[in-house]
Amino acid sequence: MFDNIKSTQPASRNDLAGCSRRELLSFGTFGLTGAALSSLVSASQKSHRNIPHFVPKAKRVVHICLMGGMSHIDSFDYKPELAKLHGKELQYEERPATFFNRIGLIRKNDWGFKQHGESGLWVSDLFPNLATVADDLTVINSMVADSANHTPATFQQNTGFQLNGFPVMGSWISYGLGSETEDLPAYVVLPDARGYPAGGTINWSNGFLPSVHQGVAFNSQGTPIPDLFPPDAIAAETEASSRKLLAEMNQNDLARYGTEDTLLARIRSHELAAQMQLTVPEVTNLENETKATRRMYGLDKEPTAEFGKNCLLSRRLLEKGVRFVQIISGGSFGSPRINWDGHEDMVQNHNREAERIDQPVAALIKDLKQRSMLEDTLILFTTEFGRTPYTQAGDGELGAGRDHNMYGFSLFMAGAGLKSGTNYGETDELGWKSVKDQVHWYDFHATVLHLLGMDHEKLTFYHNGIERRLTNVHGNVIKELLA
Amino acid sequence: MMTPRNPATARSVLLNQLVALLAICQLTPVYAEPIKFQEQIAPILVSRCLQCHQGSDLQGGLNLTDLSSLMQGGDSGAAIVAGSATKSLLWERVRSDEMPPDNPLTNHEKAAIEQWIEEGAVWEGSPIDLFSITTDQRAGRDWWSLQPLQKVEPPSFDSGWTRNSIDQFIYQNLLAKQIEPSTEADRRTLIRRLTYDLIGLPPTPREVEIFTQDTSDNAYEKLVDRLLNSPHYGERWGRHWLDVVHFGESNGFEYNQPRNNAWPYRNWVINSLNDDMPYDEFVRQQIAGDILAPDSGGTIAVACLVTGPHNTTKPSNDTMRKTMRQDEMEDMVGMVNQAFLGMTTNCARCHDHKFDPISSSDYYSMVSALAGVEFGERDIPLDPNTVQKAKQLKAQINELTLTLNTLEQEARDAVVRQQVEEANPNSGPQPIAAWNFQADLSDQIGELDVTLFGTAKRDTQGLVLDGMTAFARTERLTQPLSEKTLEAWVRVEDLNQQGGGVISVQSSDGVVFDAIVFAEREPKRWMAGSNGFSRYESFAASNETDPKNLIHIAITYAADGKISGYRNGFPYGNSYTKNLVTFAAESSEVVLGLRHGVEAGGNRMFRGTIAQARLYDRVLSAEEVAASAQSNGIHVVTEAELVAQLTPRKRDKRVQLIQQIKQTHEMLKGIENNSVWTALSIPAATVNVLVRGNVLREGDVVSPRGLSAIQIIESDFGLKPDAAEQDRRLQLARWITDPNNPLFSRVIVNRIWHYHFGIGMVSTPNDFGFNGGKPTHPLLLDWLASELQENQWSLKHLHRLIVTSATYRQASKMNSKAAAIDSENRYLWRKTPTRLEGEALRDSLLAIAGKLDPRIGGKGYRDMKEYKYKGSHFYDPIPQNQPEQFRRTIYRFSPRGAKRTMLDTFDCPDPSTLTPQRAETTTPLQSLALMNNEFVLEMAQATAKDLETHQTSPKDQVRELIRRAYSREAEQQEIERAVPFIQKHGLSAYCRVVFNSNELLYVR
Repeated sequence: MFDNIKSTQPASRNDLAGCSRRELLSFGTFGLTGAALSSLVSASQKSHRNIPHFVPKAKRVVHICLMGGMSHIDSFDYKPELAKLHGKELQYEERPATFFNRIGLIRKNDWGFKQHGESGLWVSDLFPNLATVADDLTVINSMVADSANHTPATFQQNTGFQLNGFPVMGSWISYGLGSETEDLPAYVVLPDARGYPAGGTINWSNGFLPSVHQGVAFNSQGTPIPDLFPPDAIAAETEASSRKLLAEMNQNDLARYGTEDTLLARIRSHELAAQMQLTVPEVTNLENETKATRRMYGLDKEPTAEFGKNCLLSRRLLEKGVRFVQIISGGSFGSPRINWDGHEDMVQNHNREAERIDQPVAALIKDLKQRSMLEDTLILFTTEFGRTPYTQAGDGELGAGRDHNMYGFSLFMAGAGLKSGTNYGETDELGWKSVKDQVHWYDFHATVLHLLGMDHEKLTFYHNGIERRLTNVHGNVIKELLA
Repeated sequence: MMTPRNPATARSVLLNQLVALLAICQLTPVYAEPIKFQEQIAPILVSRCLQCHQGSDLQGGLNLTDLSSLMQGGDSGAAIVAGSATKSLLWERVRSDEMPPDNPLTNHEKAAIEQWIEEGAVWEGSPIDLFSITTDQRAGRDWWSLQPLQKVEPPSFDSGWTRNSIDQFIYQNLLAKQIEPSTEADRRTLIRRLTYDLIGLPPTPREVEIFTQDTSDNAYEKLVDRLLNSPHYGERWGRHWLDVVHFGESNGFEYNQPRNNAWPYRNWVINSLNDDMPYDEFVRQQIAGDILAPDSGGTIAVACLVTGPHNTTKPSNDTMRKTMRQDEMEDMVGMVNQAFLGMTTNCARCHDHKFDPISSSDYYSMVSALAGVEFGERDIPLDPNTVQKAKQLKAQINELTLTLNTLEQEARDAVVRQQVEEANPNSGPQPIAAWNFQADLSDQIGELDVTLFGTAKRDTQGLVLDGMTAFARTERLTQPLSEKTLEAWVRVEDLNQQGGGVISVQSSDGVVFDAIVFAEREPKRWMAGSNGFSRYESFAASNETDPKNLIHIAITYAADGKISGYRNGFPYGNSYTKNLVTFAAESSEVVLGLRHGVEAGGNRMFRGTIAQARLYDRVLSAEEVAASAQSNGIHVVTEAELVAQLTPRKRDKRVQLIQQIKQTHEMLKGIENNSVWTALSIPAATVNVLVRGNVLREGDVVSPRGLSAIQIIESDFGLKPDAAEQDRRLQLARWITDPNNPLFSRVIVNRIWHYHFGIGMVSTPNDFGFNGGKPTHPLLLDWLASELQENQWSLKHLHRLIVTSATYRQASKMNSKAAAIDSENRYLWRKTPTRLEGEALRDSLLAIAGKLDPRIGGKGYRDMKEYKYKGSHFYDPIPQNQPEQFRRTIYRFSPRGAKRTMLDTFDCPDPSTLTPQRAETTTPLQSLALMNNEFVLEMAQATAKDLETHQTSPKDQVRELIRRAYSREAEQQEIERAVPFIQKHGLSAYCRVVFNSNELLYVR
């Protein structure tokens, strides 16, 4: 939608890249009706980066983003050695560098592990429902990051950079592919009902990309989008007459000053805004779903209702053509915890957080599958880093919590174009460091873009001297994950 | 074939026309003329080989920068045998496509190399390096923007169209392109354009009327002067500058704390622009104003260096902390080079710049120049009136305190005499432990005797701690401890230390703790330290200033979570509320000199002397703390005992005195609160190149200096690697603003041009390097740069030149013939219409409604509420319906990562990003905001109300609104359409429609 309108790259360096201001007017490809605008769009299609760069496997993405650092060794990275060394000292030559610099004794995984499905994928009892869809998961066990500090690590997870001010993955994908619908934003964020993550909207910032690519956070209460409707209702007749008068005045303006692309685009944007006012309330109304569906997502009970609503809403948004939905699990840091940051007591922390999301996420996967949407939808289930195999406690002490671990952790992907029911990469026998087929966020991002039909080296935007990329100057597509 | 990028390369290609032996692509081309080294070989070496084969990190040990190195060769032996390509290793590697890896040379390049070797490998001229020449891959030191300004005379074109020298340049180019310039816009278009452009507001109907009726020859020039002299000029152009330096009012990252006192920098920018401070001085002050002009705003000006994000979530791990410091330096060095010089240097943090002649060594030299800059707050000098007033208040406080002290001292002495007589040392606030380190290490009350660790020692001054290994630990607590007061008499011997603990109660594993900590989060200030900062909040109190002072410091922790600090017996800033923690008996202890932990190390160690310390299992009242402080720890007198000792008259007198002292303190605090967010100057370290940007891989030591690619000025500051911090920044400021620095004046001229025309002569205002745009009018750019310098760097002079040109005054009407040749209007055959920025839009609605508060400066307003949740700060929009919010948008408090508002929707950038140019998007969310946003509707109502009070008939109301919003007279047809609408739906509904219309949103 938005992208069909106009999004002028500020630095139009026609003398260099051959991209003129006019050519950069729009990145969209779908469903324009205004005659004048379709000519604009076709101009853009001819020259703009030739996206897709190759045939895409996935059309849309749902990103479940766990804040605080989910423990890989208690979820998807089974390390039997931990049980044997439970309560023992670390035997590494190198003293691990962690956030709080307290290296306690080794702790066994607090949840039992079993193999599940035909694939025999190891999933712990932390996620009993996700275990039932094990055959649909593509687990990466060898992730690494460059920071063990929450916010820089989260920024890196989402932008490739540890600093403020870079566009997030959802914005890049919106920039690259636009939206399949005119009535909804290309990139929607569904924050945790308990609060925004630390850093607030920086977590879904468009950075230097045009603002049209910013994540639009849907409120869990009240009107989903700010300014969707006036605070006090305006009579329908007044509304209709106002729009008519506005259209007439804008026509008058065209006659007075001459036609410009931007003016036509703005006239069209008013029409699209009116369409949004119809679509958004409709898509966010979960009462339209059957009782069985609502129950499947856990809307009928306390621990799962909040996250379940967001999972169900994300399916509805994807159905309507939203390109990228990000569901956030976890709010800001600090105590008492409302995220996955189990410094003090892993069992208590992870049980609470997992219970909120396990059934809803599994339901989302099943639901997409039964609607044949999993074929061209990409599901991402990620966290900024993992946790240490030793406890966060004094020397020689066995604590109940684990510190941040950027050297090795796990995530999973599911859906379009992936080999499913499989693991990729390994950490060492304790799950501390990634040792085989190491995957950095750059590689992960490159792979995500690849599945969406984009070459991560070609999806670029000029900003302050550099053709910027989601993957900076790194990244390799992980071919082994592709079906 | 190579696409030539500069004329020299182009010529060389032409000179060496290929003999046509290329019919079949497999054939190796042969050049008819002998190969010319400088024109044909050097560019290949520079663009294809030297990235790996020069400098200290030679691949294969092979250096390709001069002939003797080439002959000597690398690990595999000599690279070249002159006269025989087949015997030359270099040719072998190149021919087989082994080198360069991944991206082999073209047949033509190969042919040139082969032939050159065959012809004897003649090396003309001096050694080459990666930066020696510009190639099709990268810019060298000969890059256009690095060359000295050209002395240019405006081309002489005698045309009826031209008005000043600018037009002569513009007209020359248009003629060459066979494009006709546009005629001058009409008067009311000009005044609307000019008023928005120079002050960011719409002209009032009265102003439009005066201008359109002014028949004098210099009516336009008078208008320009009026606007340039308007104090709103600084607000408009200050906003542009704040974009360039990414001015934001919170730290960003996890905690995202507000910077409540960052606004003075914004006002400094506004005032400096209004005063037309010479641009070179404007910049010098922003780099080194604290040194150059400490008494006239310079200390505020250097806040420029620390406007960016700043991560205050510091891990314990040293490597992680060092990397975070390098992140800060990247932001700072990147901003300085982009804002002032249009050079992007960030890439060179990890490797030599891939596109511009900037080495890692250049980058780290700039890091060295700024290495002593730290994020923080400083007390700035007060103006003389305030100083005088503060002096009076201080004298009053001293007098009152003396009276109080005298009154209390008599009573206290009496109590003490009684205590001594009654031998009752347990009266008064009873500590559970007390140490007098001036005497010994024992607990005078209980069993918490102290053991020393590391270099800790005791002398007659007390417990002496070196900030390195020294600390002391007590036996374990015998009782659980929840409510508590920590108290110490202490000398801070190093005011620059950061994070040492004086006295700390901790779990015996050192994890959970409550401590009196010095300067961990705010330099030179006390704080309540705790695990993960969970019981920390700034007391917002004063800095320590003298390391010789013996200070009494106490922190109380109440059952309801209230935490209060006291310094020398008076409340230390503000109390706040957190959770109370309980320390278990037998597994808790007290440590002194160590913030927390089981061993020494890091920034947790305190440097100074602790004379005495005490621990209480309850919250002392303010009076008790004061009494304890005054007693200097020798005798403890309770408030009750003190009061009991006083006569009723003296009691009343005392209450009155305390009240008066409190009030006077409040007044003093109010006027003396002169702490501003700005750059701190700390001792600057010696800086090394960090190989691949890795903090663990230190390379060569560098001296502070400028970019070596600008050869016309000396980049060497003549400073040693360990030079004093202030010398480094002073030299940096001088080097950047050197009149011969060609980038400095070109970049600002282009920036100003960019804001006037919507696009610069160079389309990338922050990048004059290889990846940036090339100037459309290079001679005009240089002419204006010289003009700026010759006119005392007056930006207003530059504005005046630009806006009085015929080029600027053109009408904006589309001309399809011209557009077919130059669709983007880069050659300026018309004035491109622009959309109002978010700020200008909001300011316009306020102005049209008659609600705009036009005051200049001050602290500003907020359209959000700030709250803290789980340690992070959040900023949520609140309604804008209070008059104090009706100020110009530049005065809006602007934190990073705040919730979306109408301004973001209209492309106002988050201040995390350097924004040399705004995007101009058109989206349905903008449409929703303009239609439905509470503020817009509020303004529509206010406008209607204002119109109704001044004009009675709907026709006149329409006429007046059209004048205010569009700066023109309403047409009959417009009125006829509007009046029935107003009669049916109301005037405010009509205002809402006008606010949404294109004619309001676009400036022609």
